[in-house]
Amino acid sequence: MADTSLPAAAPAVAALAEAAAGPPVRPGGRGRRIAWAVLTYTLLTLGALVMVLPFLDMLLGALRTPAERLARPPVYWPRDPQWGNFVRVFDELPLLRWLANSLGVTAAITVLQILTSAMGGYALAKFHFRGRLGMFRFAVGAQMFPFFIFLIPWFFILRYFPLVGGNNLLGVGGMGLLGSYAALVLPFAVSWYGIFLMRQFFLAIPDELLDAARMDGAGEFYIFFRIALPLVGSGLATLAIFVFLYHWNEVLWTMTVTRTAPDLQTLPVGIYLLRGAFEQEATKSLQQAAICVSVLPVLIVFLALQRYYVASVTSGSVKG
Amino acid sequence: MRAFLSSKKAAPWLFLSPVILFALVFFVLPVVFAAYVSLTTWDSLTPPRWVGLRNYEYLLTRDPVFLRTLWQTLYFAIGTLAIGVPLALVLAYAFSRSRHQGLWRVLYTVPMVTNIVAIGFIFWFVFRQTDGLLNRVLGLFGLPGPGWLTDPGLAMTSAILVFVWMELGRNMLLFAAGLGSIDESYYEAAKLDGAGHWQLFRFVTLPLLRPTLLFVVITGFISGMSYFTLMLVLFPGTQGGPSRAALTTGQYMYQMAFEDLRMGRASAVSYILFALVSVVTLIQLRVMRRGGVDAH
Repeated sequence: MADTSLPAAAPAVAALAEAAAGPPVRPGGRGRRIAWAVLTYTLLTLGALVMVLPFLDMLLGALRTPAERLARPPVYWPRDPQWGNFVRVFDELPLLRWLANSLGVTAAITVLQILTSAMGGYALAKFHFRGRLGMFRFAVGAQMFPFFIFLIPWFFILRYFPLVGGNNLLGVGGMGLLGSYAALVLPFAVSWYGIFLMRQFFLAIPDELLDAARMDGAGEFYIFFRIALPLVGSGLATLAIFVFLYHWNEVLWTMTVTRTAPDLQTLPVGIYLLRGAFEQEATKSLQQAAICVSVLPVLIVFLALQRYYVASVTSGSVKG
Repeated sequence: MRAFLSSKKAAPWLFLSPVILFALVFFVLPVVFAAYVSLTTWDSLTPPRWVGLRNYEYLLTRDPVFLRTLWQTLYFAIGTLAIGVPLALVLAYAFSRSRHQGLWRVLYTVPMVTNIVAIGFIFWFVFRQTDGLLNRVLGLFGLPGPGWLTDPGLAMTSAILVFVWMELGRNMLLFAAGLGSIDESYYEAAKLDGAGHWQLFRFVTLPLLRPTLLFVVITGFISGMSYFTLMLVLFPGTQGGPSRAALTTGQYMYQMAFEDLRMGRASAVSYILFALVSVVTLIQLRVMRRGGVDAH
């Protein structure tokens, strides 16, 4: 185990040396300062190991040979790493189909939520109309409703949606929207939190700017899309990255509506529902390879955009 | 008509129209529908039959499993907070005084962007009794390796540990943001009065961190009370862990609805759970407010 800790520990050791040398550790005796630095970085390093080791455990698992798994006692460090498992798993499971579904569904939800949140937030922030306060309170209050309340009713609303999927005007005859991508996307078309967040960003735009455009004869939609929207770009990015990562990893609802529709399953849901294919110990390396594949795309997106993501996490706690 | 549609008077309603439409179909209708269904017995194949409050009466007085799941759910929600919040706070304290924050941030937030199926399976392997990573590490120290996922007395605790692991980065970032917003002058003043490290933490940091603490505790409690996707993956092929020891109310409702097709009773479960969560959240808000906080 000792050698896995090295990569994570190396920067910590360097930081330790730096911290011992100067601020920003709070003043005090030099000995105390070093003691605090040691404590700080030991804690952070230990925590980081606990965060990272389970992932390495999964990677090692994906690289084991069936013989190594069946050996008594089982082999931990793969002697002959099976990198080929990452190729083979694409033959064994419809990973590309699941990947495409994940990408399509998540992109659709993100675009819809961005659009509805921006429009809704803009209306609540920049117009004075009867009912504005009521609408705002509704958006805030709706956030209080937990997701599990909606599982059953959403299922049947989609099932009995009129005039689609073989249903007649009364919503009977077919399967409605169940079994279509709409079942995965529509229930998440609006985010109350998103409206709330975008409203905050639009509040920062001065009214004079929009009124000046109105004086020049610009239409309301032109003002929204061409003037207001570009000014909240960072807000849109924050919301987009948050929504994308959240829905890429959404499992419960997708599983509920795609249990009988394998063509619509997303990456995590497919891996979960097909777990029966890996009951045999010898095949578990492939299962772990599939899990690696499901983690990797979003990890790359996250690493590229982590600055925005961090902003989106902490923005929820800021006083509204 | 065209002139009206592009006027300033109509604009907010046009901008809000998708939201209003959505609210009617996917919010108001479901809330009313679920309330109605909870007063019926309905297998989703034949028309629902009105039974009044009988589902609620059955769950609260006769169902032996339901009350047990409520306790187990509370144990899970409170356990994750009791372990996770102090841990995140201590780490945030260390984090906000460290260098290379970008690196630490990435390491601690990776679980937040990992899908729950992957997390569940990762820990299913980590927790394996004979050859899992955790018991191997315990073995290095000569400690016995328990059956984390197979021992009914441990199953829910294992789920708590995974959940704490998942949420640690988020809570640490929230606390770090809270710590960062505390003005340095408070510390200077306290230090002039001779306050030590512990006193600084107890009398300056903690009171000023209350809004963040409130936010973390309340959102954590709500998500802990409604959570069960992790348990589905950690305990595959069971009805909520060994001897149902990791069965939460949410999962009980899910099984009732989508496996046993008891939509009426399941809807009643969801409303009871919702009521419970709301009441506890209001109490938390009240208590924290009395402590001099007015967040949100």
